[in-house]
Amino acid sequence: MRFTIPSQDINREPFAENVPDFHFRSSVMQTERGYKCRITNIVHLTEQEKLFQLRILDPDERNLFRFRPGQFLMLQVPGYGEVPISISSSTSNNEQVELCIRKAGHVTSALFEAKEGSRVAIRGPFGSSFPMEEMMDKNVILVAGGLGIAPLRAPLFWINDHRDRYRNVHMLYGTKEPSQMLFTYQFEEWEKINHINLHTIVENASPEWNGKTGMITELFSEITIDPENTHAIVCGPPVMFKFVCNYLDKKGIPMNRMFVSLERRMHCGMGKCCRCMVGSTFTCIDGPVFDYWSVMNLKEAI
Amino acid sequence: MIYKVIAKREFEKFIDALVRENLSYGPKQVDTDKNGEPIYQFVEVTAVSDIAFDYTVTYSSAKHFLLPFRENLSHFTYTDGDWEQEITYDSKPVVLIGLRPCDIGAINILDSVLLNGHFPSPHYLARRKNTFIIGMDHLPPPDCFCKSMNRHTVTSGFNLFCSDIGDSYYLSINSSKAYNYLKEFEVTDPTDEDDCRLIERRKLIKQSFKTDVEVTGLPSFLDIEFDSPIWTKWGDKCLNCGTCAMVCPTCYCYNMEDRPDTDLQGSSRQKQLYSCNLVDFAEVAGGHNFRPKNGDRLKYRYYHHYLGFAENANQQICVGCNRCGRACLAGINPKDVINDLRMEKESCMICVSQSPPKT
Amino acid sequence: MQHLGFSHKKIKIGSFDFTCCEGCQLQFANKESTLPAFLELLDIRNFREISSERHDDYDIALVEGSITREDEVERLKTIRKNAKVLIAYGTCACFGGVNSLKNNFPIEETVREVYGNHAVDTLPVRRISDVVDVDFSIPGCPVSKEEVERIVVSIATGSMIDLPKYPVCVECKQQLNTCLFDLGEICLGPITRAGCNAVCTTGKTACLGCRGPADDINFESFMQLVADHKLSSEDLDEKLGFYNCFEEFRHDKS
Repeated sequence: MRFTIPSQDINREPFAENVPDFHFRSSVMQTERGYKCRITNIVHLTEQEKLFQLRILDPDERNLFRFRPGQFLMLQVPGYGEVPISISSSTSNNEQVELCIRKAGHVTSALFEAKEGSRVAIRGPFGSSFPMEEMMDKNVILVAGGLGIAPLRAPLFWINDHRDRYRNVHMLYGTKEPSQMLFTYQFEEWEKINHINLHTIVENASPEWNGKTGMITELFSEITIDPENTHAIVCGPPVMFKFVCNYLDKKGIPMNRMFVSLERRMHCGMGKCCRCMVGSTFTCIDGPVFDYWSVMNLKEAI
Repeated sequence: MIYKVIAKREFEKFIDALVRENLSYGPKQVDTDKNGEPIYQFVEVTAVSDIAFDYTVTYSSAKHFLLPFRENLSHFTYTDGDWEQEITYDSKPVVLIGLRPCDIGAINILDSVLLNGHFPSPHYLARRKNTFIIGMDHLPPPDCFCKSMNRHTVTSGFNLFCSDIGDSYYLSINSSKAYNYLKEFEVTDPTDEDDCRLIERRKLIKQSFKTDVEVTGLPSFLDIEFDSPIWTKWGDKCLNCGTCAMVCPTCYCYNMEDRPDTDLQGSSRQKQLYSCNLVDFAEVAGGHNFRPKNGDRLKYRYYHHYLGFAENANQQICVGCNRCGRACLAGINPKDVINDLRMEKESCMICVSQSPPKT
Repeated sequence: MQHLGFSHKKIKIGSFDFTCCEGCQLQFANKESTLPAFLELLDIRNFREISSERHDDYDIALVEGSITREDEVERLKTIRKNAKVLIAYGTCACFGGVNSLKNNFPIEETVREVYGNHAVDTLPVRRISDVVDVDFSIPGCPVSKEEVERIVVSIATGSMIDLPKYPVCVECKQQLNTCLFDLGEICLGPITRAGCNAVCTTGKTACLGCRGPADDINFESFMQLVADHKLSSEDLDEKLGFYNCFEEFRHDKS
């Protein structure tokens, strides 16, 4: 009888009872458990994109969930799966989490059928963030291509919240079609109240479009860049940030002052599944925010 | 560590007592290949007579005892517009017998990734805590290169390790459980002669390696050779079949999916071990594939194994067991790929074509 | 999916057979443990093997078998017209299946071989997609009930349907099987779509590729390795031709 190896039950260990706190990397926790949320509001932005406002149900979990601009979370839709989504709301908004989601795959398609009042769960926040403090007392150029506006909203809101600490802020935003331009209803507020210099452009104009037409890099002709005192945040498809960053590089902005957010399909968010690897770097742990110098070294990134 | 010596017949009694009481897995011949060579696997054993102690190498590794090929991480039960999420850490005690030093080294690597890295996995922890490992040394098969990876010896990660010193085993006892069980059996303290025989045994093992893979400076080579034509060359052979990753003792990459219950009253969140060689490994929502070519995916596997990932302090995760090389139908094996990468054409045994010219 | 604010509707389904053994339809009744829950998802409108009722208001049509007669063409076109979604069900429907072996011989010869002097109206074997548009394919000889169940559940919950993209080897290795090439046999596992849980190779029978090619297979390398292993090219040809699943690759080669 003595040879029966006793079972060690870790179900009874304290971590199995506690709410997971993803800020504490490297401590054992129930990493599968998310914070349950109610979808409080669904904003129909375009045919393909919706803005979901979520409220974490449990007040303690709501307090636990604090993030930095640029971080992402894993959105759990039971029965459908889990997807990484960048957080699109202000870090100072402790009541609601906003996610700007494009209908692209399995989980997001299910989410597009969801009604207000539905329930989903979130795990996170995960990943690196834009070094907003480092940019204080400097000029900032925000460049968004297409859905790149989604991860860019968090740093933009941060700047708005601390507007006095930043100098000139330019925001360059380009999409393929005018109809794909997101958050147009906020443009006036950003320009008039937050003093953001907003520049927009589309690749293919429609009859009602009376703005600029062309590639996003053409917007640089509208602004003057002081390379010594400027940081850049660039979000968009790889081809786009490559062109933008190369342009800014030529203008003399050091590569380690340009920041991009990479997009990969994480399955865990925790540096385990290896699905988001770029070269030998985890997008979920070391990214999604990288400075451009690091991106250049990642090889597979672009 | 405490060292003891046990006669082989007494050792068999000990193993027999252990496997009769506990769920145990050990090496067993499952087939004979077309050349008349035995094929071994780690399978369930219920008596010491089931175990082939003199086995050469198992076709698959022992990884799946700690990382099942498919497992339910949690279950959701739907309730009126809401759900209950049930998470349990299944953990029945398991005895693994006859693991080689490289196999135990592989488990140590999995430990560093899954327990010591960011966000330790409770599922893995539960299994690891309930795994009792008995290691055994052996003379390496001719294609093993674990010595090159410095995995031919192991000093931790097991409960008990047995070195064959003729008519007895030299035991390295690494857990109080193993020590207590052995109290019931006739064991002696090692004599000077036993120590001598152990050293001779180790020397013999060390000298028996027929395959050497030069891995010094390999991370730098890999970094430099990112665009090397050898990836296309070997990629053109690759079948994208994932066999290498399935038999590998350290490949741990995975896939997550939700599987709704048929009655639609709930769903399971399942984890499935995946392979970076599979076509959709780096596919993102909307269908874009970051690694569309065979060569890209093959290269990535070599990056993971020989460059290492930041998550486990950039350590190389290959242990040199060559299971992937043996199992690969297309004849892709680490030795030839790495030698090719180093442009040591003369030592490449499989490819008849020359290394493609550098462009 | 109450938590997302919508509930599922029963799937109005019709199941139809053409030239085949109807074995795939029989799979419907398999996997007893979940059979009641499975049938609960369905509103069966037309299914010869289960019910004598015949209705034409189905959303989803499962079509089994290949097309070998002129009257089958007309019947299939009507089904296509009635159905919102048409699913080719089983290897015969998806690829032609074993029936396609007939296409290797002159029609008259095949008729004489089977029916003697009795006159029979028959055409060369065609896949369902050769005749009408197919929305989705569930391959397998027979189809795997587990997979059928998963796909039906996906339809009921409004999820996207997909088949594994990788080959059988993944599942075969997970079963800890001995590779059949090591036993000196040709196995189509490395090029065949997974999803069957390697049922044949687990029973030590070589994979004949009934589920068709996996995504992005390396056919050239596969042909090469069979040659390298010094295995018979006649055996390979016979296996590749067995279910008619690899025609595009075989013809590319020649």
